[in-house]
Amino acid sequence: MADAALSRTSFAPPRRREAWLSPRARRTLVSIVLAAICAVWVYPIVWMISASFKTNGEIFADSGLIPDAPTFDNYTRAWREANIGQYFFNTLFVTVGSVIITTIAAALMGYVLGRRPIPGKTALMGLMVFTLFIPQGFTIIPVFELLTSVGLGQSLWGVMLATCGHSIVIFTFLFAGYFGQMPKELEEASRMDGVGPLKTFWYVMLPLSKPIIVTVIVMQTLQAWNDFLLPLVVTLANPDLRTLSVGVYSFRGEHFIDWGGMTAASAITIIPIILLFLFLQRYFIDGLAGAVKG
Amino acid sequence: MSGVILNNVKKRYGAVEVIKGVDIEIGEGEFCVFVGPSGCGKSTLLRMIAGLEEISSGDVQIGGRRVNDLDPKDRGAAMVFQTYALYPHMDVARNMGFGLSMNGWPRDEVDRRVNEAARILQLEPYLDRKPRQLSGGQRQRVAIGRAIVRDPEVFLFDEPLSNLDAELRVATRLEIAKLHGTLENSTMIYVTHDQVEAMTLADKIVVLRDGRVEQVGAPMDLYETPDNLFVAGFIGSPKMNFMALDNGRLPDGTAPAVPGAAGAATLGVRSDALRPVESGGDVAGEITVVEQLGDAVFAHFRTGWGQEMVARFEPGTRLRAGESVRFALAGRTHLFDAEGRALRAAAERLTA
Repeated sequence: MADAALSRTSFAPPRRREAWLSPRARRTLVSIVLAAICAVWVYPIVWMISASFKTNGEIFADSGLIPDAPTFDNYTRAWREANIGQYFFNTLFVTVGSVIITTIAAALMGYVLGRRPIPGKTALMGLMVFTLFIPQGFTIIPVFELLTSVGLGQSLWGVMLATCGHSIVIFTFLFAGYFGQMPKELEEASRMDGVGPLKTFWYVMLPLSKPIIVTVIVMQTLQAWNDFLLPLVVTLANPDLRTLSVGVYSFRGEHFIDWGGMTAASAITIIPIILLFLFLQRYFIDGLAGAVKG
Repeated sequence: MSGVILNNVKKRYGAVEVIKGVDIEIGEGEFCVFVGPSGCGKSTLLRMIAGLEEISSGDVQIGGRRVNDLDPKDRGAAMVFQTYALYPHMDVARNMGFGLSMNGWPRDEVDRRVNEAARILQLEPYLDRKPRQLSGGQRQRVAIGRAIVRDPEVFLFDEPLSNLDAELRVATRLEIAKLHGTLENSTMIYVTHDQVEAMTLADKIVVLRDGRVEQVGAPMDLYETPDNLFVAGFIGSPKMNFMALDNGRLPDGTAPAVPGAAGAATLGVRSDALRPVESGGDVAGEITVVEQLGDAVFAHFRTGWGQEMVARFEPGTRLRAGESVRFALAGRTHLFDAEGRALRAAAERLTA
């Protein structure tokens, strides 16, 4: 306050400049610039979708984004012959399973870390943060061995379980931060009401953390759906278990790459993700903003 | 039988003792207010009765049962929190009935009790609203309703009016007083730092300081015969004036006309026991601030020895800062010994 008052008295007020553009013109200009940037951003996706409707011959014939003779062949070929249908359901299984496990586990852990006094909490959280810095490439072989030793090395259950591990630390912290800032009177009121800790968690705390739940669902879905390295390693010996991202990669044969099939498969792959984001983006942004606000 | 008895209750956090041996007896149906400055341990004491804080030593009895090792829900006590602590995602009816339905009560019984509580608290039109759609006063009523539906032996209120604005605070205070009339035989324990709330609501006031009971008694007993300097200064608004005595004389050498003043260290006199006089009198000074309250005028004045004091004048009295005033002691005066104990109390102790 004092500084502001000082600066106001010691400097002459700035001369009022003539606006170079009217506010409306400025908005238009900004929109045009942003639209241009946006076009660059979405070009790869547009190219992919356009290519998925072209024949392999036309894709590199430099015919522009509008296909000369649009064809669904790529899609039918990808779905039937390249087994994308099977991969789609594999991915769905892995994704849904890992989302359920991750959300419940992260919420429970976050609740304990955020609200319960447990010995060694700081050390535990430090250790968890540390795991974030280890690249996936270093852990993938031990994880695969672990899965094999419990008999899940060659199954979708194994992929599902291992996929849960990617971001669960971040999700746990999201929940811990959110639960940590809730007033303790809520739990106390529920204790006075004679409601046990589990019911309190389920009926009082969990419903209140809806923004975080949505965030975790969206992020884990993206992660599980698009994951490549882990399912590649686990399903290397068993093509039936491939997920979509690995399946798309298989269009790349040794001598010939089926670009049409690959782009069609990619389009199939991203449709659910786009739909999910369209439906949940508002909650998703709320959740992230809420977590940052603390 | 739903009285509450605290017997040498102590609370320690590690080496720090915050409740230092409290004995209180609260009869069935009594409205008892714990009052004291912040940090005196009044909320901690309430939470110990509720079961939200462990009791380090001593006994707490509710309705004749020792409840030290019972869960909050088994103590027969319901609590109203300062922050209301309503469940934000549940509507009013669900907020009130949540505890019952979680404990397996039949649905129609829960509904019946919720509707009954809503009727008492005039919350019927709001039963399907969420807490965020209610005003502060309505939220507080829902919090009270949540306590009522459990039909507890003891109601515990933890500064329930602190989050309300001044006008609502007065209105809600009245409602709580009425509620106590409606719910006969319910014992209520109410924590506040506001001595006006304590005076207006209580059958019995417990004044606490530093984890100890300073005095227990009916509001007017505390007002008229405080046991010590602390209670004398804490109860009553404006604060009681205290003057140092040396061999029965005030700092400026005047000997006030108070019997027994010779043996006292402090003379206490409330603002309404100072009668303005033209000449003579016991205390003189110069007015510094005049507060017009409508139904009274409070004149703050500075005595010859530089102490700020306050006197009450009749409404409409015209006073100006800088004016000289003289007062005679004309009403109840209080004498305290060097330890701050009321001399009356000291005398009683001698005879006992």
